[in-house]
Amino acid sequence: MNLRIVGANLFVTLMSIYREKTTMFFTLAFPIILILLFGTIFMSQDNVNFHLSVQDLDQSESSAKSIETLGHNGKFKITKVDPAINALQYVKDNKANLVLVIPKGFETALMRRMMHKDLTASVTVTYFYDPSSSSVPTKMEILNGVLAGLNQEMTGIPPFIKSVQKSILTKKYRFIEFFIPGIIAMAVMTLSLFGTVYLNTELRQKGIIRKLCTTPITRTDWILSHMLYQFIIALVSTTVMLVVSYAVFHVNLHLNAWLPAFILLDVFAFVGIGMILTRFVKESQSAAAAANAISFPIMFLSGSFFPIELMPGFLQTIAKTLPLYYVNEGLRASMIFQDNMAALRDSAVIGVFAAIVFILGIIATKWEEGK
Amino acid sequence: MKEAEHVIEVENLTKRYGALLAVNDISFNVKKNEVFALLGPNGAGKTTTVEIIDTIRLPTSGIVRLLGMDVTKKKHAIVPRIGVLPQGFSSFDKITVRETLQYYSRLFSRKNADIDGLIDLVNLKDKTNEHYKNLSGGLQQRLGIAIALVNDPEVVFLDEPTTGLDPRARREVWDVLLSLKKKGTTVFLTTHYMEEAELLADTVAIISKGKIIAMGSPGELIERNANYLLITLQLADEQAFEIVRKMGFEPVHDNHKSIKVRVEQTDDVQKILTAIKDAGMSLLTLDVRKPNLEEVFLKLTGEALHDNQVGERGAK
Repeated sequence: MNLRIVGANLFVTLMSIYREKTTMFFTLAFPIILILLFGTIFMSQDNVNFHLSVQDLDQSESSAKSIETLGHNGKFKITKVDPAINALQYVKDNKANLVLVIPKGFETALMRRMMHKDLTASVTVTYFYDPSSSSVPTKMEILNGVLAGLNQEMTGIPPFIKSVQKSILTKKYRFIEFFIPGIIAMAVMTLSLFGTVYLNTELRQKGIIRKLCTTPITRTDWILSHMLYQFIIALVSTTVMLVVSYAVFHVNLHLNAWLPAFILLDVFAFVGIGMILTRFVKESQSAAAAANAISFPIMFLSGSFFPIELMPGFLQTIAKTLPLYYVNEGLRASMIFQDNMAALRDSAVIGVFAAIVFILGIIATKWEEGK
Repeated sequence: MKEAEHVIEVENLTKRYGALLAVNDISFNVKKNEVFALLGPNGAGKTTTVEIIDTIRLPTSGIVRLLGMDVTKKKHAIVPRIGVLPQGFSSFDKITVRETLQYYSRLFSRKNADIDGLIDLVNLKDKTNEHYKNLSGGLQQRLGIAIALVNDPEVVFLDEPTTGLDPRARREVWDVLLSLKKKGTTVFLTTHYMEEAELLADTVAIISKGKIIAMGSPGELIERNANYLLITLQLADEQAFEIVRKMGFEPVHDNHKSIKVRVEQTDDVQKILTAIKDAGMSLLTLDVRKPNLEEVFLKLTGEALHDNQVGERGAK
């Protein structure tokens, strides 16, 4: 290995991307756009407001009070529907995806139950809903919870089982703080994978690799300089992402030595995969398609955007076989929870994986033509 | 010392790509300080041969020694001593001419490489800060030649250095190659341009379908394989064709309503001219010339050397 050669090669690749302003811009802009987009969507996830349409056919003081109670829950922004309108048609006309209908006789039944202890007295509220709307199940779940609470309260008997929530964290973390480490891991993965695949196929197609083959640069020099290049780009990209996250969303993440360590392991693993891929895919366009085919499932299955607990069991098992999962987990362990033991465990897994694919990548990288 | 005589020794070289026999048991030597041209049409095996010699490819069988070393075993010792312009050379788009030369000089660990001298040699002085992408095809090839010389190599390999260039750019590259020849640099050149081989080469090896079919200096090859004269006559009277034919020659019409006649002796030229004059016909133009390598190639292989389909890279 010759460090002068590694340095010369690193300079040329860095200057190439620095002078390619469009590539440079999109390299840095893509994760920023994701952070801004998802960050804005989930910024106030704790105060999510669902629109709830309520039709009060009873028009009584009790029914009005019940609707008010629903509004106090904090989850719903109530829209009152004119009692003269057909609620079913109202949903069908896409004016709302769920309408809660409080029937006529609500107050009378309530009085019978409360004053006269008539246990046969009850009311049935109706949900008219559009099942194709994704927010409806969540709304119904919250509504059922509220109604169960009301029912329980009306019995006048204190609940037997009570629950208390105690977080292991001294401070509750926000979704954006969960999201940023995932986006860093994902961005480093795509930069390393696509960067390797693109650079190798492009240089091979242009005949530059063939020219380099007739110079003293070795495969080790080339791969090392490429690694350093990807690492520098990943660090720049991560810095920009963190600056935006702190400036726009005021995130509270812990920055320590684990961050560059996980970025380096992420780079190693996906440069290795990129090198293996380049061996089998010769054209730059098909290489980009192959890189997409690999990165997209990894991106979504590894928990970069949402916790893997939200996925079906078998997908969770698959997620745990993916390298990016351990980068996500490791970064979150260090940046959110400051859990060094968990970060160490995750770094060991991704480290072993990175070492294996990187060695395979070196073996797969071939310059000279065979016999 | 053998190396002083032959810097390249090729013995029974064969290269197969699956069922395709690209190079078929060829042998030749290249002397120090000579310009050696491997001349042949596209697909003849030129690039495969040069890429085996300059260590890009491995042979299927045979022995190739470069600077006295086996190319399959001593690549690392050979590479710093040779310069290569591969076929279809390209470089980093956004790197300037000077930076590109500095980059390659660092790859060869040449701290004191004469970058300015190389820029002068290939006449790129006013383009030193131009990005590679912005250079015309001819300028890119000239930069490629400068890169091939950055390590002051003992042997330079130029694989089709002018293919795809327009005639003007081609001549500019030839000027650079002529200055290399003048300096006594050993050059291994592949080309399908007969004029290029004739102008630059001390020795020409004609390759066809993976076989070397003739080798020698351009003069020797012509002398040996095409020892005749070609006369082109343009006359006002079409009867001239019959007169020449009756004299026992085999005239042919060419595209420009001229007659072409091949004659063995210089005296035959005089005889034909006298016969035309005696018949009272007036001669519009007359051209007498020796055959060139194109005709040698045609005679030896029965196929044309030039592929007119080749696109040209003009000045941008």
